[in-house]
Amino acid sequence: MIHQKNQITKSPDLSINIGPLRLKNPVLLASGTCGYGAELDGLLDLDLLGGIIVKGISIRPRPGNPPPRLVETPCGLLNSIGLENVGIESFLRDKLPWLRNVKTSLIVNILGNSVEEYSEIAKKLDGAEGVKAIEVNISCPNVKAGGIAFGTDPEAAANVTRAVKKTTGLPVIIKLTPNVTDITKVARKVASAGADAISLINTLLGMAIDIKSRRPALANVFGGLSGPAIKPIALRMVWQVVRAVDIPVIGIGGISTPDDALEFLMAGAKAVEIGTATLVRPGTAEDVPAGIRYYMEANSIQNVEDLRLPDQQTLNPVRYPSFPIEGLPMQPL
Amino acid sequence: MPKFDTPARIVEQTQLTHGIFLLTVKATAIQDSANPGQFCMLEVKYNNSRDPLLRRPLSIYKTRANGQISFLYKEVGKGTRLLSKRRPGEIVRVLGPLGQGFRLIDDRPQCILVGGGLGIAPLLLLAERIKQSGKLIILIGAGNASEIPTIEDFSGLTRYFHVATEDGSLGQRGMVTDLLAQTLQEITGMAQIYTCGPWPMMKAVYHMARRKNIPCQVSLEATMACGIGLCLGCAVPRSDSHGFLHVCQEGPVFDADQVHWEYNQ
Repeated sequence: MIHQKNQITKSPDLSINIGPLRLKNPVLLASGTCGYGAELDGLLDLDLLGGIIVKGISIRPRPGNPPPRLVETPCGLLNSIGLENVGIESFLRDKLPWLRNVKTSLIVNILGNSVEEYSEIAKKLDGAEGVKAIEVNISCPNVKAGGIAFGTDPEAAANVTRAVKKTTGLPVIIKLTPNVTDITKVARKVASAGADAISLINTLLGMAIDIKSRRPALANVFGGLSGPAIKPIALRMVWQVVRAVDIPVIGIGGISTPDDALEFLMAGAKAVEIGTATLVRPGTAEDVPAGIRYYMEANSIQNVEDLRLPDQQTLNPVRYPSFPIEGLPMQPL
Repeated sequence: MPKFDTPARIVEQTQLTHGIFLLTVKATAIQDSANPGQFCMLEVKYNNSRDPLLRRPLSIYKTRANGQISFLYKEVGKGTRLLSKRRPGEIVRVLGPLGQGFRLIDDRPQCILVGGGLGIAPLLLLAERIKQSGKLIILIGAGNASEIPTIEDFSGLTRYFHVATEDGSLGQRGMVTDLLAQTLQEITGMAQIYTCGPWPMMKAVYHMARRKNIPCQVSLEATMACGIGLCLGCAVPRSDSHGFLHVCQEGPVFDADQVHWEYNQ
């Protein structure tokens, strides 16, 4: 129990603010796992969610990587889709009209090969009716800088953030890659460059080998790992970033149940994104807001923010027994 | 087209030969709207286990008016092994019917179905449908007889029915493409080929069809995560080199000339 039972009788308020953007609840669909929304028609009631973040959009359509693009790993999924998407023009013309009829906040994920490309897409989305915010994917290769990902270079990440902020009035969420030594460094830079929020984590770089064919299982050799396998890492990084920046943090990584989501909210995330779990069961996200509400009611918690744990947990002090053996290092029991 | 993600009760789970199973579930909504060539994603894990994480795509083999759907599948790994352990009375989640099935062409008085091994799975519903309207030729091949244990389901549908096995344990000794070569010599008039089986077999069937100017539809297989076009993982290169086909959403059935057959699977 993290909260004393008290006399709150009002029903819990699940709405949250991500910068200037108000969401009816803290549960979003993660980019790359929910298509452009319409694919889920009839299988998931999008209206029940706080928001949907559609498949990453680039300036021009991208065909993606050659197959095999997927391999299942224990409790996880490795993918190298290669950011296949229809491009901004087709998105605005063919995909956006359907999304306007959904009663949830539409957030568009964008990606580019250069700072200029990010700005250009952001500009095109700025006036697009129905788009409530932009999530910037900075874990794709930066061709101009010789293949270093924007997301692994704090300075480059800050540059993208500034450029996108300059060209759009929409709230800007920067999506971070976990494939760095210290994620708080990138987070701090991005926050001071003016990001409205940070979402994390994107997939972890991994690989698998097919021992029958004696070849890497993915055509691209490496891929991004997602699913329940990465949840503890994601949770740790969210905890760190929440305590490193003052802007809202959105937690992503292996969330498939209300309990998983609650862990991220307790770590201090303002909201969560459901990713791979939607691929496994399209209706997964639908149950999460209800599960969070149930927990808050049962524990008399009024606001989502109140779920956050204090930074310094008072733990029972660890007792070190003193071993009489000389020279043996003391270990906590 | 409506899709349903529904808990389905297992009615039957039968091991037909070594490693090949027939699973029947009750899923009325899916059965009601299923077309030949479509597939379902079946949950293979128990309860809340997260390993294996993904569902498995299986072709719809048979449907019955009482809401039952059957899947003919082979145990090839961890997922299908777990699925094969599920017993009648238990519940599996089934998502379907998915994808674009076979397209029936009105002006084709004779249809040739070419199945290799368990590639026969999506062809039964199609054969039943074609039987009502035109001449049906069924050609089935396998390594040996035990790889095609449900052959009787097909043999009664038409008198133009031929089997080939590589070891000669059933029908003619040889490949299904030998049967197709003989058939293509004998037939006259407009025809349509439908095929499903191993990639090299379908590739050979496509080339034979092309030489005779016979249109050919193929049902492809790919590793999938979602089955509904969310992840874009099930990509197969297009013949025109402009990107990829997605097996779950645009397929699994394609016109064979859309597929880049030289791509090394």
